[in-house]
Amino acid sequence: MHTTMTSLLAADSPAVMTPTTPHLRIEAVTKCFGTFTALDNISLAINEGEFVCFLGPSGCGKTTLLRTIAGLTQQTSGTLIQRDKDISRLPTQARDFGIVFQSYALFPNLTVFNNIAYGLRNRRDDRARIDKRVAELLALVNLTGSEDKYPAALSGGQQQRVALARALATEPGLLLLDEPLSALDARVRGHLRSQIKALQARLGVTTIMVTHDQEEALTMADRIVVMNHGVIEQVGTPAQIYHQPASAFVASFIGSMNFLEVTAQGNNRALLGTTPCACLPHTLKLGQAAQLAIRPEAVALSREAGALKGEVVGIEFLGPFQRVTLRLTEADQTIIADVPSRDSSDLDLFVGQMLSIHLPAEAARLYPAGSSQQ
Amino acid sequence: MMAKTFTMSATKPSLESLIRLLALLAGVALLVVGLLFPLVAMLVKSLQDRAGDFIGLANFVQYFQTPALVNSIVNSLRVALMTTVVVVGLAFVCAYGITRTCMPGKRLFRMLAILPILAPSLLPAISLVYLFGNQGFLRDVLAGHSIYGPIGIVMGMSFWIFPHALMLLTTALTNSDARLYEAAEALGTPKWRTFLTITLPGVRYGLISCLFVVFTLAITDFGVPKIIGGQFSVLATDVYRQVVGQQNFQMGAVVSVILLLPAVLSFIVDRWIQRRQVAQLSARAVPWQPTPSPLRDWVFTLLCYAVAGAIVLVIGTAMYASLVQFWPYNLSITFVHYTFQGMADGGWGAWFNSLKLAFSVAVVGTLVIFFNAWLIEKSEGYRPLRQGLHFMAMLPMAVPGMVLGLAYIFFFNQAGNPFNWLYGTLMILVLNTLIHFYTVCHLTSVTALKQLDPEFEAVGASLKVPFWTTFCRVTLPVSLPAVLDISVYLFVNAMTTVSAVVFLYNSDTRLASVAVLHLDEAGYFASAAAMAVLIFLTSLVVKLLHTALTHVLLNNAQRWRMA
Repeated sequence: MHTTMTSLLAADSPAVMTPTTPHLRIEAVTKCFGTFTALDNISLAINEGEFVCFLGPSGCGKTTLLRTIAGLTQQTSGTLIQRDKDISRLPTQARDFGIVFQSYALFPNLTVFNNIAYGLRNRRDDRARIDKRVAELLALVNLTGSEDKYPAALSGGQQQRVALARALATEPGLLLLDEPLSALDARVRGHLRSQIKALQARLGVTTIMVTHDQEEALTMADRIVVMNHGVIEQVGTPAQIYHQPASAFVASFIGSMNFLEVTAQGNNRALLGTTPCACLPHTLKLGQAAQLAIRPEAVALSREAGALKGEVVGIEFLGPFQRVTLRLTEADQTIIADVPSRDSSDLDLFVGQMLSIHLPAEAARLYPAGSSQQ
Repeated sequence: MMAKTFTMSATKPSLESLIRLLALLAGVALLVVGLLFPLVAMLVKSLQDRAGDFIGLANFVQYFQTPALVNSIVNSLRVALMTTVVVVGLAFVCAYGITRTCMPGKRLFRMLAILPILAPSLLPAISLVYLFGNQGFLRDVLAGHSIYGPIGIVMGMSFWIFPHALMLLTTALTNSDARLYEAAEALGTPKWRTFLTITLPGVRYGLISCLFVVFTLAITDFGVPKIIGGQFSVLATDVYRQVVGQQNFQMGAVVSVILLLPAVLSFIVDRWIQRRQVAQLSARAVPWQPTPSPLRDWVFTLLCYAVAGAIVLVIGTAMYASLVQFWPYNLSITFVHYTFQGMADGGWGAWFNSLKLAFSVAVVGTLVIFFNAWLIEKSEGYRPLRQGLHFMAMLPMAVPGMVLGLAYIFFFNQAGNPFNWLYGTLMILVLNTLIHFYTVCHLTSVTALKQLDPEFEAVGASLKVPFWTTFCRVTLPVSLPAVLDISVYLFVNAMTTVSAVVFLYNSDTRLASVAVLHLDEAGYFASAAAMAVLIFLTSLVVKLLHTALTHVLLNNAQRWRMA
């Protein structure tokens, strides 16, 4: 987790994106199940060759949006345009995509070969071409030699790759991945993550992946679409999502975040208790109750005197860094600071210690109070 | 819902969804024509006089003013309740022996216990006459009571309903959670208290469901009381007598409506219970394994094999009687009764008709029922149609065979009915039998389909493969064990049923089970026994073939299951 974030901190440049006609345009899509609104007026453009992740807590509508794109769920209103073609009312069969489900849905009675060839058979390709294509795909997913095995004889990761090969067999313009890694154990997941990403980059196929795992989204996606309660909270590169969260929800959902109750002051100031703090420019009114959001790794601790003080109430050893919980003397609030292990010896940390706390203005964002609830 | 229907109609109809819609409509039409219309025709008939004019409830008033008829209600309830107590009691003891003890020979017992299902209900009745009738070699056991009447009916029904109850209770008792028993033991609970506080509550839904199933089977059965009832009339035999004996169709309809009531009631109770039973056992339950306990094990062995002995005795008696020259005077062995001299057109023709019917129902019925279940479970859209089809698929369970058969006469024999040409053909027998046994097959199909990955269809569609290809290449092969179960269930029931078809055959399509009835009526008891045994053996052979085929399929053709 930590390595991921530090590497992101280092490479703080958004992924290069050339402005082309989008592969898929989602325009004002709404989906209601009875009185429940699963998707509320969603608009989004996905570029050709891009890897996009739909990220959000369960029930946020990300899977519904994916199924709507696939035609497995019919939107209540709105338009879907794929490569300038209106696909809004097309049945699933008439749309151009391949899909990998969370369960893989491999056909248990068919061999690996027949699973992958399932869509090719239907196109009446001749046997030799099918053989060649399946061999290519198996090589692509590193499963050469498994043609005659049945899915039940494969490990979870292998099944996942067969499902991927099957989805790619017909060379779809769009690849949809519905939580493709969540059924695997952590070690296999990490390995497959980079494999899928490399494969996608090599083939250049436009890909949409649904996930609730922020680490997966941050490491794999060119762009992340953060969703909550059927609306899009933010669209951006992993670095933008992490460093410039557009809302308190995004700030709290991605990574760890301190939220301190403050009162908004000038356009880049806030009052924490009676202590003035600098923060990034905001548009909140003077005196409005607000939340100051700052990542634990941005909080700096020191033994020298400072405006803001706190008492150490807990220390967790987490390997590369120590997570220190402090109670602010100024107000009855706690704050977490991640102190890299190499710095912690200078501090000589112990519970009950009084330290001064520095909140760098460029890492402190102000959001309206009460808006971080997920 | 409004919005959904709106977008649905706005969707560009593809060829596939059109075919899907047509298939759904065909499924609905099948059940409307094969079930709903006949039942409505019967209800209407019960409100008409002989001339066909509407007379309100006059027929019902007349019914309740005729003591001979009203008496049958009491009789039916009496024998059905007695049968329920006997069968559920015995079945519970045997199911307990199978699941909760270490008694030896469980597999043999289960095989023997299932045998009655393969015989028509007429067979035990015939056997009982040979055993306890006026010439019976166990006549003295009854201490002067006649076997013709309630005693015989209860014994005969108990015989052929027993396997149904045993299967239900075995399933209920198998679902146990060892952790509860371990907790009870750790708390020092005596055995009897464990039984009352853990075992019984654990099976209560299965037990109640079993009580109602047995009661329904008993109150609607026709074969046993027809053969052994003597002067003791019950509702099912009344329907037959009113219609076939007295040609009083209106009164037949009235008795049918009355016969429908207990069946519908127990159907409703059963559905209600099934709904509550969901997820009673948590996924983390550890199955309970019995440990040896010599005294308990031997007691249950004795009890179970006493029951099995009775079953073998009944079947053996029918076989022996069919081979004996002239009971009880000339006991030399002969096959002469298997020439069925009592029947003008020969009995083997009837047997062959039954075979044709059973094969047709097994093949057509399995495909139709499984495909309809697939349409209901695995289609998107057309929700009202799919729900309607599911509801109608559940109904046949509540309709007794006699009622369905009579309803068919009223509906299909109407002048001006476009399906009138079906009347008197083998096809109407196929349709009738298919509908009669629809529900259990439907439920088996739905259960099998629910176990499949819900995304198979979506994957097929995303790969531009038409749904029927995915159905044939994946869904059907993966569900093959369930499909085979359905087909053999349909075959055996088509072979053994007598209640519905007794109204619908004609001279060309007479069935073996009906022949048993006629041979018995005409006094050719040995030939009747021979025909009943023939039906039993046919079912047995098919059942054995099915077992072998399932075994081969699972070991070879479906190697992927083992992987």
